[in-house]
Amino acid sequence: MTWRLIPFSSANAFENMATDEAIFREYQRNDAPPTLRFYSWSPPSVSLGYFQAVSREVNIAACRQHSVDIVRRPTGGKAVHHENDLTYALIADERNSLFPPDILGTYKVISSCLALGLQELGIEAEMESDGRSRGDATLSAACFSSPSRYELLVNKKKICGSAQLRSRGAFLQHGSLLIDFEPAKTCALLLRQNGDHARQIDILRQSVTSICEQVGAPVSVDRVCRVMKKAFKKRLAIELVEGPLTKEEESLKRRLMDDKYMNDKWNMEGKVAGDGFQYSD
Amino acid sequence: MKVFPDDLFYNREHAWVRVEGELASIGITDYAQEKLGEILAVELPEVDSYIERDEPFGTIESAKGVFELISPVSGEVVNVNEDILDDIGIINSDPHDTGWMITLEMSDTEELDDLLDSREYNDFVVKEAESD
Repeated sequence: MTWRLIPFSSANAFENMATDEAIFREYQRNDAPPTLRFYSWSPPSVSLGYFQAVSREVNIAACRQHSVDIVRRPTGGKAVHHENDLTYALIADERNSLFPPDILGTYKVISSCLALGLQELGIEAEMESDGRSRGDATLSAACFSSPSRYELLVNKKKICGSAQLRSRGAFLQHGSLLIDFEPAKTCALLLRQNGDHARQIDILRQSVTSICEQVGAPVSVDRVCRVMKKAFKKRLAIELVEGPLTKEEESLKRRLMDDKYMNDKWNMEGKVAGDGFQYSD
Repeated sequence: MKVFPDDLFYNREHAWVRVEGELASIGITDYAQEKLGEILAVELPEVDSYIERDEPFGTIESAKGVFELISPVSGEVVNVNEDILDDIGIINSDPHDTGWMITLEMSDTEELDDLLDSREYNDFVVKEAESD
């Protein structure tokens, strides 16, 4: 089976989310191959889950102070600070034979790809099997503070967070793999400041790890990206052929950027201005 | 084994329709709520908005992800179930009745002809569950 691999890029939060949603919407409409995309975020950003309330989850003033963009994802889950991470987006049919139709089964298969990649970097990761059982209520906004089922743990610490959107038989899975981690900055951006800040940082330090921490040396985004591409290819037994966005995806991406992801109405309130976004021209 | 009421129509996206004249109340099936697990949030359209058949009429979140709700028929939203916005657990506990989500005034009742009856929907989910 041949999949499309979108070449790695580093873009702003609004373009990243518009790109993923454009691929997903065009995939629903057309007979396109499944797509895998790896990317990073420039400038650093905070992404919120679809249903999260910005005012409860993000320190907006701290984000402004650090020039960190805030964007709402089309996928679920919790808030993620994207600065030293590699993000992936995987778009496929939920009836694709590589993925079991049950929803958690998809997380499991994708986690096994990431685990294979981590192994290549010398990191042994295990899959969380108990669901969101750990973590701390004061840290509930932060995606990395509480592992979901089949998310990856290294020495009981979370190293990757993931979330999905499903519609009309297709799914988009987002995931963020931590290359490096600064608990103090993540705490400053994501968590409410009325708790015991030092304790919050300490809990994050104890429950989250990164590739650099595990390897004990700097690891470049390029290297992690190369290793992960290879791991997905091997684990799923697929051909990954590099290809750009189609003309239709590019045009939808631009409209999604302008009318949705660069718009405060969406990012702050979860609403699209006017009568909602029209996916067809 | 799930029981899907005989007086409802279903689409393959696991939404049901209860028809009273020109009005269609819509919700998700017991099979869907079980597959999604505990529902944590729901977003529904505003009254007076227009929904197209096979297009999303709302969004739901469970611990497993975000899911778009696909409308079985087209029409104008005339009512939204405020009760589920206050007590979201109703969608899991009583999906075919008090867990209804919206009522549409249908623009084309012939769209109902393309939907599944309870027996056909049951066959559809049995097949889907077998492949799980």
